[in-house]
Amino acid sequence: MYRYDEFDHAFVSSRVEQFRDQVERRLSGELAEDAFKPLRLMNGVYLQLHAYMLRVAIPYGTLSSRQMRMLAHIARKYDRGYGHFTTRQNIQYNWPRLSDTPDILQELASVEMHALQTSGNCIRNVTADHFAGAAADEVADPRPYAEILRQWSSVHPEFSFLPRKFKIAVTGAERDRAAIQVHDIGLHLKKDENGRIGFAVYVGGGQGRTPMIAKKIRDFLPEEDLLSYTTAIMRVYNLHGRRDNKYKARIKILVHETGAEELSRQVEVEFAALKDTELKLPETDIQAISTYFAPPALENRAEGWESLARWKKTDPEFARWVQQNVQPHKHPDYGMVTISLKPIGGIPGDASDAQMDAVADIAEEYAFDEIRVSHEQNLILPHVALADLEPVYRALVASGLATANAGLITDIIACPGLDYCALANARSIPVAQEISTRFGSPERQAEIGELKIKISGCINACGHHHVGHIGLLGVEKKGAELYQITLGGSGDENTSIGEIIGRGFEPEKVTDAVETIVDTYLGLRRDGQETFLEAYRRVGPQPFKDALYGSAQEAA
Amino acid sequence: MTKIWKETGFVGDDPWVIETEETKAGSNEKAIVGLDAFLKKVADSDETGLGVVIAPADDVTKLAPHLDRLALVAVAFPAFNDGRAFSHASLLRARLGFTGEVRAVGDVLIDQIPLMLRCGVESFAVSNATALKRLSEGRLPGIAVHYQPTAKPSTDAKSYSWRRVS
Repeated sequence: MYRYDEFDHAFVSSRVEQFRDQVERRLSGELAEDAFKPLRLMNGVYLQLHAYMLRVAIPYGTLSSRQMRMLAHIARKYDRGYGHFTTRQNIQYNWPRLSDTPDILQELASVEMHALQTSGNCIRNVTADHFAGAAADEVADPRPYAEILRQWSSVHPEFSFLPRKFKIAVTGAERDRAAIQVHDIGLHLKKDENGRIGFAVYVGGGQGRTPMIAKKIRDFLPEEDLLSYTTAIMRVYNLHGRRDNKYKARIKILVHETGAEELSRQVEVEFAALKDTELKLPETDIQAISTYFAPPALENRAEGWESLARWKKTDPEFARWVQQNVQPHKHPDYGMVTISLKPIGGIPGDASDAQMDAVADIAEEYAFDEIRVSHEQNLILPHVALADLEPVYRALVASGLATANAGLITDIIACPGLDYCALANARSIPVAQEISTRFGSPERQAEIGELKIKISGCINACGHHHVGHIGLLGVEKKGAELYQITLGGSGDENTSIGEIIGRGFEPEKVTDAVETIVDTYLGLRRDGQETFLEAYRRVGPQPFKDALYGSAQEAA
Repeated sequence: MTKIWKETGFVGDDPWVIETEETKAGSNEKAIVGLDAFLKKVADSDETGLGVVIAPADDVTKLAPHLDRLALVAVAFPAFNDGRAFSHASLLRARLGFTGEVRAVGDVLIDQIPLMLRCGVESFAVSNATALKRLSEGRLPGIAVHYQPTAKPSTDAKSYSWRRVS
């Protein structure tokens, strides 16, 4: 993984000192809250319902054990003993004191971490496929490019006061695990007919109150043009993105109102002027950054096949966990392990300090010191030998981290909702907990198969409900919470926005409604192989509407 | 009150006045006019040493044919969080090659000045009390290492191509 050099250390420590000065000015009253707000946001500090919230950047979701231990330490020392992993591969702490935040940032800097640009109207943490560098279907590792973008976008003076936040995601495989088509810029790493590396460039995707799927504006951008082309997009957006209405300020609205073709033309004009400037990436620099992401030296461990088969036979629970949470690695003797942060009835994405320490220990002993955070709010050990799966599993069981539900109905994404968030209209966490409990039986989950439920507590869609196979959106109606259900959304290479199925459900009825939808699917699927999403795409919403609202009744 | 600041310090006798309906430049002052008025002026006269203010929605590249008539371009920040002038300044310097004075006017705050400098802004019309105090004490909250080349010339960091030091 990337390691800081002197330059990076100098940058981050200057930044901490700069923020310490700003916090001191704010606490003394010299700096007004409205002027302080964009400064604290660019350093990851939000003001939430009950307290400040600090969102720490985990660039493209990659962590070492040392860094994970620091996250545990911060949870213990400055928070209430836990942290919350987010859909942007970051972690947030819900209870820090403002006056402590400079110290927290200083502690983070000691392990090459920061909270830069995890909020505010700037270029946010760049995300990538959580299986990067390990997945068998990868053309190239997306993380070196994400790292170059991270560096280039850090305190970019021209793009620190954009019309609105700006999110970039990179994937290196045809199978999109980074949801690039619902990002402001989505980059799909690919090779052209001559074997050169470059990107298909998507612009203007996003969720929120106006969900839109990104438009492809470039089929192939050579890798050396990454920064000049991105600068061109950012400049067009900075100058022309709407600033009159914050709900229409994302680049997706500009793309929509300008038209993808015209916007692409404007970007190309700007790019033509920037292409041969100092922004062009030298091959040597791309190589040098890529070296940091070289995969660990994976010895052949063929003995794992036999022992794995044996363990599976003697322990059905272990077998179920392997089946669900371990995926094939590009090296046949290894697997990619998903550590579920979705215990049955638990809070999606939360981890205690002890659990974080345990994951750090396991990664150090068995997984080449590497941990990932997935946008689905789970942790990943990308390189584990099959021969080590059994001890890894035992250690995870001991820490309550071995829930065998990756990709299943209880692997729910949920935003913090009204329990924490100042923007929320409804709670998300209790709804997730109730659904998880209702469907908690392993047999039932296995029968249902792949099904992604995503829950947002307000229209801003942090819980990605638009791309949930089943999406739940909490709204407030006449002072009460109501949950609107969308079906058929997906955030992969075949991205689709879920369709609203009908009128919403009260909190005490929403789990029943989900169960009705699931039972309807089980009744109409062709066979056990047809997933919920495939079945929905085949039959459409009507059978689900009929089941939820009665066939005679017009769904409102 | 508004004072003009440059990296060399406060400017004592600045002649520039942004003209409005009520305010006009006096006999020993120089006028900064809006883009339309400026374009009219260059069409109607041979005057040089002119000043223009670029509002956020203006197209700064319209100045391209007239750079030799300009002494000063003011880029406007009507609110500190309207960042369009960062791009205007960058385009003026890096694209159009304007070498005259680029001035930030409007809601110019201390924490934004280092960013404006890097985008090629040279002088600042400052009225915010904290900013004036900080500038008079020489305490600019900038960072000396940068991850991107910008309009203001800076030194190669002897590292990756995108890195700079000031």
